[in-house]
Order: sequence, then structure tokens, then C-alpha cells
Amino acid sequence: MSRGVGAPPASAPRRHWRTGPLWLALQLVLSGSLLLLFVVPILALFTYAPIGDLFSAAGSAGVRAALWLTFFSSGLAVLAAVLFGIPMGYLLARRSFRGRSIVESLVALPVVVPHLLVGLGLFLLVIRGTPGYEFTRAIGFPVYDTIWGVVLVMIFVSAPYTVLASELSFRAVDGRVIEAARSLGAGPATAFLTVTLPLALRGIVAGLLLSWARAVSEIGGLLVIAYAVYPAGPYNGPVTSTISVYIYNVFQNGNLADAAAVSSLFLLIAFVLFLLVRIGERSGWVPWRRGDLAP
Amino acid sequence: MSSEWVVDGLEADLDHFHLGPVDLTLTPGRAVAVLGASGAGKTTLLRALAGFLRVTRGRILRDGVDISEWEPEERGLGYVPQGLGLLPHRTVAGNVRYPMEIRARADAGPRTRELLERFHLGPLAQRYPARLSGGEQQRVAIARALAADPGLIVWDEPWQGLDVLARHELGSVLDDLRATEQVPIVLVTHDPALAFSIADSFVVLTAGRVREQCDALTLMAAPADAFVARFVGFENVFEPSALAGGAPGSFRSWLRQRVGGDGVAFASPDLPGRDGSDPIWEGKVRSVRPTPQGITIEVVADELMVTLRMPSPVTPPLPTLGERVAFRIDPASLRPLRAAGGRGPGG
Repeated sequence: MSRGVGAPPASAPRRHWRTGPLWLALQLVLSGSLLLLFVVPILALFTYAPIGDLFSAAGSAGVRAALWLTFFSSGLAVLAAVLFGIPMGYLLARRSFRGRSIVESLVALPVVVPHLLVGLGLFLLVIRGTPGYEFTRAIGFPVYDTIWGVVLVMIFVSAPYTVLASELSFRAVDGRVIEAARSLGAGPATAFLTVTLPLALRGIVAGLLLSWARAVSEIGGLLVIAYAVYPAGPYNGPVTSTISVYIYNVFQNGNLADAAAVSSLFLLIAFVLFLLVRIGERSGWVPWRRGDLAP
Repeated sequence: MSSEWVVDGLEADLDHFHLGPVDLTLTPGRAVAVLGASGAGKTTLLRALAGFLRVTRGRILRDGVDISEWEPEERGLGYVPQGLGLLPHRTVAGNVRYPMEIRARADAGPRTRELLERFHLGPLAQRYPARLSGGEQQRVAIARALAADPGLIVWDEPWQGLDVLARHELGSVLDDLRATEQVPIVLVTHDPALAFSIADSFVVLTAGRVREQCDALTLMAAPADAFVARFVGFENVFEPSALAGGAPGSFRSWLRQRVGGDGVAFASPDLPGRDGSDPIWEGKVRSVRPTPQGITIEVVADELMVTLRMPSPVTPPLPTLGERVAFRIDPASLRPLRAAGGRGPGG
């Protein structure tokens, strides 16, 4: 027995010392390669056009209109995700009902279908001569080639991220904490607002960010249903498009330098926005990480 | 705000688990410990009391009013769940203030300070629960429960996750609470030793049913059956089947004669046995283990595994494995187990 037990302790620390750096190196190489794949194409974009082009792109009225349309409609899509997606996530997290797995699969569907199909489906619903066409016009929200079409496609492709993230976050809230709060005098609504929501908020916000990112980057569905967008109403006044469609157009016209410049500008804005949120989380400016970071 | 609570034939169902019927009377200033193994229904009982589980039959009366259909927030009951349920996103002060804040109580500020002071939480007021020790978290939980002016405190596993010092401290906090607040307390635990240190009376649950309900002395003097006897800490518990057999004049037949066909429980006899007229039995040593109370020795005597104890301070030499040692049992220490004794868990 003493022979069997005596040998390993002497060699174990040494082996650990030897494999430690190797293991670390492997991790660094693997994650570094992936990071490189993310960064290199972006660098190519930034270096293709002179930096001055980036400023002139920012000054162009067409680019500004496209940026405005993109941020405005993606903002509305995120608002819709807040209003409809968070309650749905709560429902899925807290209630068990027959057919819940079907509902959950349906929610995940927009994540997996090619987005061209989404545009096509909506298109078939609202083309001229269909009841959908008449209805959307009658209520003042015509869809084809309008800002509402853009918003609708964006909601379709982006809201699932909020639903799924909220569901997971609500589920992760310790039921006993909620019960303690109830017993201390909080009604269901108060307990939701003072306990459940604050505790789930961090995950929900992460989901909203993903939703927003997905909405902003959408192109497939938009190519079908809102390729050209008339902000003032169908075929009325100036025409624009989302930034993704705008870049696609410039590229199709063979104008590589402009496409690269507009892309770089958009990337810069998106990157700064994400960075701000992360820094905000880190430094505790935002409420959803209090408690984790406390002294 | 002291109230008297009566639980009258309470039954509840959770999936395939059935709880009850349970009868309890909770009087101000007295503590009831609900004992039971894991899965016995202790937490289920507390959650039914607190209003998180529908009562399918029976009533919960608070000062004569049936509250069994009331919402949890209307019951005026301080429920401290397992893990304490502190709000992780609020500071210590924020947690204590919480019940008063949601009721918009005007004196929330001074009352919070008073409670923080009383439970020595002042210096920790701005910390978050995750940065507190187990004992500190317990104090926050009690202070917060009191902030809601509960008519009953219901506490699931108060000692869970505490080190020995913190347990000791919690004991004195609970004693103080009982003395000053005049609130009935219901504690749930699977550790009888801790329950004895605080509770006035005991409820033993097994598979959702009340198996025993009495005060501490009764529980020690006459455990209902083999399960309860083992549960409350009798080292030597023998069911009737274990006592069967054995030649006339043997250890087993002597025990059988003393308790008249029932099972038997007795605390570990001391070794060496005191002088007396009781017969001397002999056992073969199977194990020798040091404990704070002395040395625990297991011997096999007439096919029964009997636990003996050499009280501290121990005078050497210690018995060795396989050695034969002599012991005596004071007949007055034998506790007959009632007829139900044969039907312990799994029996």
C-alpha cells in the first residue's frame, strides 16, 4: 500500500507544472484563431477605403437617411420585443401548459429559417389584392416598401432572442427568494417588479441587445418586402433603405470603396454602442448587475 | 403582534406526495420543531402554512379566523425559506427595509436602523448578501422577517450551512427572539440535536404523516417507535424481530422480558459499567471511535450490535478490536417502543 500511494504525490505536481502552460497555449491558439477570423475581414473593410471616405460617407444625405431608418426601425423592433417578448418569456418560464414545447419550437423557428423566406411569406400576405393588403392599408400601416414592413421583418427575426433570453433568465430566478418576498407582504405584481424582474434583468438586457443586433443586421427579408422604403408612405416622397440594403446596392453597382466606407462607418457605430453597454455593466452604472459587483 | 395559530387536519398534495392530516397548536413565545428525514414533507408543510401550496383539506386558523385560502402576503407570517431567500440585488439595509417599503410605512427608516442595531448588522448595512458569512445572512433574514411584524415565524432549516460557532450564535438569537417577541416559531430541521436546543415541542413527520407529536421530555422518555427513537438520537434501537431468539438467560431474552414483546431503545451504557445488581453482559468489540462525549465502542453481544460509551475523560487502556468487554444496562434506561415499532421506514 505504501508503495502505491507513495509514488504519485511526488510526480503529480511536476506533471501539472508541465501540462499547465501547454494547455493554456492550446486555449490561446484556438480562441485566437477564431478572434482572428472575426477581426481580419473587418480590418480589410476599414483599410480598403481611405479614412476620408468614411467621413464623407457620414456626411452623405443618403447614408444618413439609411442609418436613421435602420436605427429607428430597429428601435421599434426592440420596443416590440420588450412589450411582447418579455411577457412571453415569463409565461414560458413560469407556467406549464399543454403544447408548451410546440410554442417553444415556434418561437425558435425564426432563428433557423432563412430570412428570405420570412420576406416571401410576408410578401404573400400583403401583396395587392389580398385581404392582408386591404387590412394593413385600412388601418394606416401599409407594409410593402414602407417603414412598417421593415419593422415587421425586424420583429420577426429579432424578437425570439428576447423571448428565449427572458425565459431562461426568469427561470433562473430562485423561486424561494420570490416566495420570501411574497410572505413579507408583496403581492404578485409587487414581487414581480421588485424581485423577479430586477433579478432577471441582466439576462433580459443581454437578449434585447442580441435582438437589436439581429434587427440592425437584417437583410434577407428586407430584400423582398422593403427593398425600397418610402418613409412618407408608399411611393410618396423620398426613397431610402436600411443600411444593410444600402450597402448591398452600392456593392451591386460595383462601387467597392463606397461600400467599404459605409460598412466601416456602420461597424464603428455598432461597436461603440456595444462597448458602452459593456463598460456600463462593468462599472455598475447600469442597475442590472448590482449585487454581483458590490464590495 | 402575537396570535395563536391552530392547524386543524391540514392536508395538501404536491405531485404524487400527500401531506397530512396535520394538527398543530402554535402559541406565542413557544417554538415547535418539525423533524423528519429528507422527503418527509417538512418543507411541504411550511409552504402550505405560508400559502404557497393549496390546502386540500382542513383549516389554518389565526386567532380563530380561517386563513387557509388567503394569499401568502395576507397571512402575516414570516416565512424564511431554505437558503433564506435574501434579495441578492439589495443591500443588508435594503433587505431589512423591504417589507416596510412595500407597505409604505412611514417609520421604515428608524425601524430599519433599530433592527440593524439589534442584530449587530450596522457595520454591514451597505453590503450585499453575497458578501456576508452564513451567520450574518441568518441575522439579516431574522431582522427582515421581524420588520414585517409577523404573527408567526416559519423557518426552513435554520442551521443549514452554518459552522459550529454560527450555530451557537443562532441558538442564542432564537432564544432571544422567543423571549422578546412573543411570536410562535415553527422550525424545520433534519437534525434532532439542534431541534432539542431550541424547541419546546416536536412534530415528527414520516412520508407526509405525523408520526409523533409531543414535548421534548416525552419524546426522550417514550419514543413512539423505532424510527422516532433512532431519529431523536437513541444509539441502541431494536425492533421486536431483532430481539427474537436467544437462549433463556441470554442478553436478548433478558431485553425481551423487560419490554414485554415490544421493541426497545436505550442510550449507550457507560463502560466500565457501574457496580450494581444488573446482570453483566459480554460483547466483542467491533469498532472504537473517539467523539467529543468520549469514546464510542460498538460491540456484538448475543447477535445484537450494541453501542457503549467510555465517558470523557477516558482512562486508558482503550479496548482493542476483537477484545471481549463486559457491560451492564440499567433497566430504568430501557424505553419500550409501542406496537407500531415494527413498521419503521422500509419495514
